[in-house]
Amino acid sequence: MSDESIIDARAEMLSGAKSLAVVPPPSKARGMTSDLSIDEALLLHGAGWEPVDLVCGVSVVSVPVGVWNWGQGEIIVASTAHNGAVEGASEQLRNECIKVHGHGVVGVRVEVEVRTHHISVQLIGTAIRPLEGGPHPPAPFVSDLSARDFTLLQGAGWQPVGLAFGASFAYAPRRSAGDAMKQKTQNIELTNFTEAMYSARESAMERMQRSALDVGGEGVVQVKVTEGPMYFAHHAVGFTAWGTAVKLVADTHQFVQPDVILPLDDAVVTFAAQNLRGG
Amino acid sequence: MSDGPADLPEAAVRRLDSGAFSSGLTVPDFAACLDLGLQPLGLVQGFCVMRWGWYGAGSGYMRGINPYGGAAQSDGAYSEVYRCPHGFVSSEHRMWGQNLEQTWVEGAWSEGYGASYSRMIEEATALGAHGVIGVVDRVSHLADTGTTEFHFLGTAVTVEDGPPPAGGVPWTTYLAGQRLTKSIEAGFMPVSVAASMASVRVWAYCMTEYLMEGSRGWGGPTSPNEVNQVSKAHMAVIQLARKHVRQQLSGDMLHGAQIEVVKRELSQGDEVIDCTLRGNRMRRFKDFDVVPPPRPTVRLT
Repeated sequence: MSDESIIDARAEMLSGAKSLAVVPPPSKARGMTSDLSIDEALLLHGAGWEPVDLVCGVSVVSVPVGVWNWGQGEIIVASTAHNGAVEGASEQLRNECIKVHGHGVVGVRVEVEVRTHHISVQLIGTAIRPLEGGPHPPAPFVSDLSARDFTLLQGAGWQPVGLAFGASFAYAPRRSAGDAMKQKTQNIELTNFTEAMYSARESAMERMQRSALDVGGEGVVQVKVTEGPMYFAHHAVGFTAWGTAVKLVADTHQFVQPDVILPLDDAVVTFAAQNLRGG
Repeated sequence: MSDGPADLPEAAVRRLDSGAFSSGLTVPDFAACLDLGLQPLGLVQGFCVMRWGWYGAGSGYMRGINPYGGAAQSDGAYSEVYRCPHGFVSSEHRMWGQNLEQTWVEGAWSEGYGASYSRMIEEATALGAHGVIGVVDRVSHLADTGTTEFHFLGTAVTVEDGPPPAGGVPWTTYLAGQRLTKSIEAGFMPVSVAASMASVRVWAYCMTEYLMEGSRGWGGPTSPNEVNQVSKAHMAVIQLARKHVRQQLSGDMLHGAQIEVVKRELSQGDEVIDCTLRGNRMRRFKDFDVVPPPRPTVRLT
């Protein structure tokens, strides 16, 4: 690194302190808000983007009575409610992003709550836009990637296009009375639960992949899944999967070619009193 | 304890005059602080314990049983009324509902938060500080006493050869160590910590009640439906917190915002939603220095 590129932190601090020593003129400018860390803000800026505003989207969708009762196959009403809540929240998030002239939202925090009679989805992230401006995209992208992952993805020639989401709930069918009695003293797979989980998983993953294609994505990165029985209905299992749909915008994938480093730090040194005795 | 500067306890004045500095910084943060030309002066704190009630004079709970009585909102405060589509059904039927911003709750929070902050600033000013770094704030409810404790803590510093801030009021930031150094190097000077709280009370009307309890009720739908009243209340509380914090920015930026939404359910659809938003108010003092593209690395261990 050349001497010119080294920043004198003390001199910068002094400049900063001097800037606060004078009262700024009253401003009616709209203050920018962002939940990005300083590292993320710097990285984004280096990649040609800047944060615009903190944006959110919330949707609460009802689940009618009786939906979780015993049955067979997929609990379609609950799956529809879940996917509707995600879609509603994403739509609101996109609208907020458009309102502040953002081109997309990064670092979206996804919070989902599944209750007996309603499902709520809350999305909060930071809207960003390119430093050089440019035309607004027809629909801003929504991504749960951190700003670091976003810049890395961009460097590799890819771009996030939207949040891909899929959910499915399925009944684990009742065992016959005979099976239940027989299995009571056996260590045995409960195939009704395994099959219900497989069914829910396949539907949810398929929906997620389809939603990625719907927004123009080629695939989904950083997929997260949740699965298991519903705490309020143990005979029903749920599976949700979500991630960021991405598409290749460069001609080909750009290889990142990382440097390999070998840290020479000592391993963690812990104090052991018996070492003082020697030998 | 009032906000007046002459209000420091006598023991605090003695402690601040003792000559030894104290700091809440870790050793790496302490080293980074010295590297920036910041001299730590003392660990400064502020406390305030508030009575934290949801009912009381002026509260919306006292407005009566209809949306027309006593629920006058202050200018610009959020309020939405929902009306039953069924007409008179019974005296138990929820013929109206309302989403209401609880300005009196927000006011109480701001008072407690602001008082503990200004008490910390008072200690820092008494030390002749230019700023307070590594600020930690905590809002905790004291068990079963209906009270809330606000606590601020930070390390008062001076900038070597630097001028005092305008008006002599020290600047503050949650940042310290390398994160503060990076902010300064990037051209962002901390102005103050900024925080706000918004609170919205939801009184469900019949349709919200039916949807939230799954009942088909009077004309309740049998398929999934968006619960508009609750969705709007959740959106509103976040937007209000953002609006309140933006009013403190005067055109500056809020970095590293942390947002927390807490919901308390009271009955089907009836709930109170609180949202707290806090972050670092920063001012740009030079053009942003573009960071050269970082080199990705793979670590061999």
